Amino acid sequence: MAAEEGQVIGCHSVDEWKEHFNKGIESKKLVVVDFTASWCGPCRFISPILAEIAKKTPHVIFLKVDVDELKEVAQEFNVEAMPTFVFLKEGKEVDRVVGAKKDDLHATITKHATVTA
Amino acid sequence: MAVSGFEGFEKRLELHFSGDDPVIGNMGLRLMDFESLEKVLHAVQCTVVSAVGNQYFDSYVLSESSLFVYPTKIIIKTCGTTQLLKSIRPLIHHACTLGLMICSCRYTRGNFIFPKAQPYPHTSFKEEIIFLENNLPNNLYYRKASVLPSKLSTHSWHVFSACDESHILMQNMPDELYTIEVCMTELDRVLAGKFFRHPNDGKNGDSAGKEMSEITGIGDINPNALICDFAFDPCGYSMNGIAGDRYSTIHVTPEDGFSYASFECVGSIYDDPDNIVEVLKKAVQVFRPRTISVSTTCTGHKVWKCVAKAIEPLGMKFRSCTMDEFPATGSVVFQTFTSRRK
Repeated sequence: MAAEEGQVIGCHSVDEWKEHFNKGIESKKLVVVDFTASWCGPCRFISPILAEIAKKTPHVIFLKVDVDELKEVAQEFNVEAMPTFVFLKEGKEVDRVVGAKKDDLHATITKHATVTA
Repeated sequence: MAVSGFEGFEKRLELHFSGDDPVIGNMGLRLMDFESLEKVLHAVQCTVVSAVGNQYFDSYVLSESSLFVYPTKIIIKTCGTTQLLKSIRPLIHHACTLGLMICSCRYTRGNFIFPKAQPYPHTSFKEEIIFLENNLPNNLYYRKASVLPSKLSTHSWHVFSACDESHILMQNMPDELYTIEVCMTELDRVLAGKFFRHPNDGKNGDSAGKEMSEITGIGDINPNALICDFAFDPCGYSMNGIAGDRYSTIHVTPEDGFSYASFECVGSIYDDPDNIVEVLKKAVQVFRPRTISVSTTCTGHKVWKCVAKAIEPLGMKFRSCTMDEFPATGSVVFQTFTSRRK
């Protein structure tokens, strides 16, 4: 199992974001992007829960983007409320969950995740 | 009325803080870490079910109602047998660690359907006042407690308000925003039935809540608001709506015998008054209750007139209107309406 599997990977620069975004396309895995803000309480609430889900679903890529650090990326995805989880498959958005909704997160991941051989 | 059942009527606490520590920036209370917030909620016996925030504030759907955290203001509204006032001490403490001092407190509630089921200090308004007096710091020097009656013995509105010197001096500057709290009882049975989960519906609390918001028309009350909703098992529903810096919140206890629904929202005195009339109309029509009580809190007087304008045309008869003034809070107007249907 690669070092980054089962973890939520923080993207702190546009380059880092592009790198992981492209890796996601190449791997054909489901990519879940957590748009978060350091001053947003609901993001702190869901953070450990997301980390647990990531551990249990190593076949899904989890990325974390701070809306202040990467304003352009947040704007590109029209993020207005936090947390917003954007689900990407081969670079295209297939779904999103707005808000710290445990059950919805689980269900949406299950719905879109493909188990790689 | 049933002999006993879930208490829908909420207790509501609003605390304002002030501070000028530049390190905190302008996010204030929103920077409270989650463990501290959990401790506060634990004291009240409720937990976070769902949450969402925007640039202005954070909103949380709780196991027993809602919590809103602004940089210098907290609003907690809880139902059932929660001991809401026990959140005051830990909140003041945690705010202090963020360099924020409490400068005003407002506690309100209607009448409990099952008053004997309430734990200390909610056994009576007198006990609640004593508890507040003992747990608020001395700088909140200006205090007032009052019960606004109605023609119905089952409906009155309890208000406790306390503030410090700075708020008294600000009284000449009217607040742009007002709050409307609507309490509805004896909900239409068919409409209340929509807030029951269906067994084996293949849904979870989040998705069932979303469906309830859609089929009941709650989603249409303010189409501009982002809704964070949840459906409880086997029944019950809560939602927080966020639109800019304003929240709205709905809580439903649908069981026959003690059915209850609340709708609370924030408006501006600069808004077109027809807006709030439409919003209230839509909210009431979701439930078609037999009795409605509405409390408007405003530093001016006008908004309470919109309430009757919205509610009377829905087959409701105006029964009473009482008012009182409170330090920092402004005017609280309490009105009641009952259905003309036999």
